Amino acid sequence: MTGKKKDVLLDIKDLRIEGYSDEKWIEIVHGVDLTLHRGEVMGLIGESGAGKSTIGLAAMGFARDGCRISGGSIEFDGMELTTTSEADRRALRGARIAYVAQSAAASFNPAHKLIDQHTEAPVHYRMRKRLESQEDAMELYERLRLPNPRDIGFRYPHQVSGGQLQRAMTAMAMACRPDLIIFDEPTTALDVTTQIEVLAAIRDIVDQFNTAAIYITHDLAVVAQMADVIKVLLKGDEVEEADTETMLKSPKEDYTKSLWAVRSFQREQKSRPTGDAVPVVSVQEIDASYGPTKVLDNVSFDVYAGMTVAVVGESGSGKSTTARVITGLLPPDKGKILMNGEEMPPSYKQRSKEELRKAQMIYQMADTALNPKVRICDIIGRPAQFYGGLKGGALKSRVDELLDLIELEPSQYYSRFPPELSGGQKQRIGIARALAADPTFIICDEVTSALDQLVAEGILKLLDRLQKELNLAYMFITHDLATVRSIADEVVVMKQGKVVEQGPKDVMFTPPHHPYTDLLLSSVPEMDPNWLTTLLEERGVDNVGEAADV
Amino acid sequence: MGGVLTIVLKRLGLGLFTLFIISVLIFGAVELLPGDIAEAVLGQGATKENVQAMREALGLDKAAPVRYFEWLAGAVTGNFGVSLISQSPVTEVIAPRFANTLFLASYAAVIAVPIAILLGVVVALFRDTLFDRVANVLTLTSISSPEFFLGYVLILYLGVKTGMFPSIATLNDNMTFLELLHRTFLPALTMVLVVVAHMMRMTRASIIALLASPYIEMARLKGTPGWKVIVKHALPNAWAPIINVVALNLAYLITGVVLVEVVFVYPGIGQLLVDAVTKRDFPVVQACCLIFAATFILLNLAADVGAILTNPRLRHPK
Amino acid sequence: MNYFVIGYYALLIGASCTAAHFQSRKAFLLLFSLTLVSFIVGIVGGESALWTITVFAGVIALCVGTSFAFREFLVIVGWGEFSKAMKTAPLTASFGLFIIGTYAIAGVFSPIIAPYGEAEIITSAFAPADENLLLGADQLGRDMFSRLVYGARNTVGLALVATILAFLMGAIGGLVAATTGGWLDQFMGRVVDVIMSVPSLIFALLLLSIFGTGVTVLIIVIAIIYSPRVFRLTRAVAGNVVVMDFIEAARLRGEGMWYLVRREILPNSTAPLIAEFGLEFCFVFLLVAGLSFLGLGIQPPTADWGSMVRENATLISFGEITPLFPAGAIALLTVAVNFVVDWMLFRSSGLKG
Repeated sequence: MTGKKKDVLLDIKDLRIEGYSDEKWIEIVHGVDLTLHRGEVMGLIGESGAGKSTIGLAAMGFARDGCRISGGSIEFDGMELTTTSEADRRALRGARIAYVAQSAAASFNPAHKLIDQHTEAPVHYRMRKRLESQEDAMELYERLRLPNPRDIGFRYPHQVSGGQLQRAMTAMAMACRPDLIIFDEPTTALDVTTQIEVLAAIRDIVDQFNTAAIYITHDLAVVAQMADVIKVLLKGDEVEEADTETMLKSPKEDYTKSLWAVRSFQREQKSRPTGDAVPVVSVQEIDASYGPTKVLDNVSFDVYAGMTVAVVGESGSGKSTTARVITGLLPPDKGKILMNGEEMPPSYKQRSKEELRKAQMIYQMADTALNPKVRICDIIGRPAQFYGGLKGGALKSRVDELLDLIELEPSQYYSRFPPELSGGQKQRIGIARALAADPTFIICDEVTSALDQLVAEGILKLLDRLQKELNLAYMFITHDLATVRSIADEVVVMKQGKVVEQGPKDVMFTPPHHPYTDLLLSSVPEMDPNWLTTLLEERGVDNVGEAADV
Repeated sequence: MGGVLTIVLKRLGLGLFTLFIISVLIFGAVELLPGDIAEAVLGQGATKENVQAMREALGLDKAAPVRYFEWLAGAVTGNFGVSLISQSPVTEVIAPRFANTLFLASYAAVIAVPIAILLGVVVALFRDTLFDRVANVLTLTSISSPEFFLGYVLILYLGVKTGMFPSIATLNDNMTFLELLHRTFLPALTMVLVVVAHMMRMTRASIIALLASPYIEMARLKGTPGWKVIVKHALPNAWAPIINVVALNLAYLITGVVLVEVVFVYPGIGQLLVDAVTKRDFPVVQACCLIFAATFILLNLAADVGAILTNPRLRHPK
Repeated sequence: MNYFVIGYYALLIGASCTAAHFQSRKAFLLLFSLTLVSFIVGIVGGESALWTITVFAGVIALCVGTSFAFREFLVIVGWGEFSKAMKTAPLTASFGLFIIGTYAIAGVFSPIIAPYGEAEIITSAFAPADENLLLGADQLGRDMFSRLVYGARNTVGLALVATILAFLMGAIGGLVAATTGGWLDQFMGRVVDVIMSVPSLIFALLLLSIFGTGVTVLIIVIAIIYSPRVFRLTRAVAGNVVVMDFIEAARLRGEGMWYLVRREILPNSTAPLIAEFGLEFCFVFLLVAGLSFLGLGIQPPTADWGSMVRENATLISFGEITPLFPAGAIALLTVAVNFVVDWMLFRSSGLKG
């Protein structure tokens, strides 16, 4: 991140972009300025709908279908992109400005080998011959620490893993040694341990070639590692811009401060009740499989009343499957589920209404968890009516009471439909539906991972308050260790269907750890801009990839 | 390639099995006749002796499964029994007419397929323009019109009023190929109109779906010129949907031919089937249905196999 | 050259220039390309070809005008959601609605509208049109116009009943299959695959050759042949809904299948199902028309469009367009339904994204 030259590469002034919806054009970016110098990395951060990707693409003079650049100027290296011909703009793309997309798996053409897609731009621009370009690709693959750099390019996209594809795409962006690369959330879809490898690779290569970059993300900790300058966006407007150090230490605007403060929420840790208290839910030696593939192997843990157990793991670790076994959607091959000391029938179909009532679930995607064609009052009212037999006035006052509980004004939300609500409000309705059954145990499946950070924090606080008031037991499924830190009492770490380690949170977060827990913990990006550098030094640079295979 | 081979073989097996079930259905349907074939064909006025004689001639005294397998064995070797009306072997009646139908269908296909795919791609590229909207209205109109409507409109304007083409497509043995093409132009054109409309719409839909995929946007963002995006990035992935479209429409051609043949009095298998149905000549009906169904299943099979073979994920397994 | 030809070109060129002057690119391109096409057609086909173009343009202009007026009418008369939807509807959709409405009125009130009975022989065979006989007489001397009006009741009615039956069978089957899953789902899927692997017209011919051609038989046969299509679509639509978390939540609550189908799945499947009903109607209608044309549909003397085409087909060779009326009636209704369906599909896809 050194050797910054002070000449301006990209100068965007008063950029306005409109999107087409409901038969009319609506402005979605309202006059954003952006100045980027040669070799500089700018982080664009914001919540969903902030217009980050749209601005990123506009920097290439490109607008997606249904979008148009309606005002302002975009000057790239002295060339005005809004007024030049499409042919001239196209000649910049790939050659001088390159793009790295969020989902590499979808953005590589499935019909061609990686290396053929890599060589396309340099050959097209006559910068290199095909063979030279292939050699160059292999060299880039090596620099990006891809395994078998000389062979991997001859594979098809579906034959390569997600993290590797993302690095191959970065290599492809580098093919013409562009002046500027737009990274559009390149690590969002990856697991934390994989994310590290990609982040390190991207940072190295950008550094080595002194390429300027715009790094788009919603993750503050990630952007802190990558960027020299950070620009915060909110709903198509700029909030503020400053260099990374200043931005992290002393943000000026309230919005930025609130973003920064999110991660500080932490509730007091509770410990297990002493004596012979019976756990609300006890998972005992569960084995389960999907068809012939075994997905859970001897999983056991207990959840006590009023406590939160966080089940942590990367995708494929079996944490969601555990939830399916507890709820009875997937009857286990072996082992039992006890609720308040009583064994539950393995399938939900055999469970009594009363048994079903006690265990409720809150889902990750509030969009698919709420029927869009049913009114809020009916969504929340149904469990109360179904289990409690409430009718008429009693039902209405129960629904009002539940809406009060989740901090939504009853008169305002009572008869609305889910699509009219924001993401956070929908998630609150999901919580209310679970509460309506008057449960003792709630499974929260990644309830905050689809939400923006501020909203997510609101949900966590709400869940915490409800737990205290109603003495609920939570099982918190998550891949996000920040969430674990803020809300868990006990932690269960899972990997490939097995419980790797479990215990109280304070014990789990203090060394010594099991090696996998250690890897998981250390891979979570922190706000410290030097975190990645330090971590890589600790692990030894070449170990980044291998560490994941412990 | 082993994986692909298994999948293709499985699909072939499934196709054969479907064909087998269909043959049971076609045979079984006739068994559902109130009474039996002899009674149904000879009617209520027939004497018992006549009915009995016909039963014996058709071997109706045997159990149904036995007769089914005899029929199936015959069908596989090209022997569909004897026509109840003309008393001549069904195969002799069907063979030349089937050839005629195939000729007409291929005539229409040769014209329709290239035009439709080309127009479909063009319409997809110019989507949401006036051109696209007009094409949309025209193709919808064409799809919505019964074949006989299009047929008679063509006869009226190109046959009767201008006299450019003959309005009746009867054939005789000593026609030259060019005469043949001229004589059968109107029926072929009728089918072309319908098939082109169908294919254009399907091609347009699949191309648009394809152009919305992220790798197409990526190709654009790499600075690939427009034509190259289509040829190099869209087309290799478009084969499966296009093969599908072609096969489905060829299958449609084979059956749509029935109405067109009747309109133009064309001596094909479709008209034979309609005649046989009205005259209740069951061996002929069974044979025609089996041939139509087999062609239809075969083309659908070809579509699926084509899609499997062009899928890069299956061609290059991990 | 005569006044018509001169006026024709003068009008077109004048209109093109006006469009160009007002910077209306689309209108200009349309008008001017029409002018160019007219030059070519005029040279090849002479004045009569230009007349044909004029008549065509007039008909199209009439259709556009009607659709526009009808759309405004619906916007004003309609209520709430419908009125709002009509405001943005394309002209083709309002044209379709207009035609469907006209047919519905003709079908419901046919005895009042038709001047003569459907089987009433009133004059000589193929009598030409005059003040009493709007469209002339058919091969037996019956009033063509009256028969057309009755056809709206018979042909469309039959197709509608068959479609409803096919739809009920297919949709209920599809919903049950999607909700229960397991072997029942598999089994129904296989049966449907087999039925769909026989071309529908051929299947219909086979069954009709065996069971004869009564109206009831016709309806049942068509329903059996077309319900698999509905089944597949319903199964697919409901299948997409069934995997949603809110279904899982309802299942875990202990809700029964009937509740799941009625309260959770159906409300989320109505839009595509209504569109499918329209499409299905088109297929059924065309099949019915085709079968009647082949003489295997509704039996005479009942007025039916398909058989009317066949009965009067000989007139075509004398350059008469009479047989095209019933055929055109079939085409027009199918086009109209397709236009409306097209709009509904576009709307539902647009709302999703």
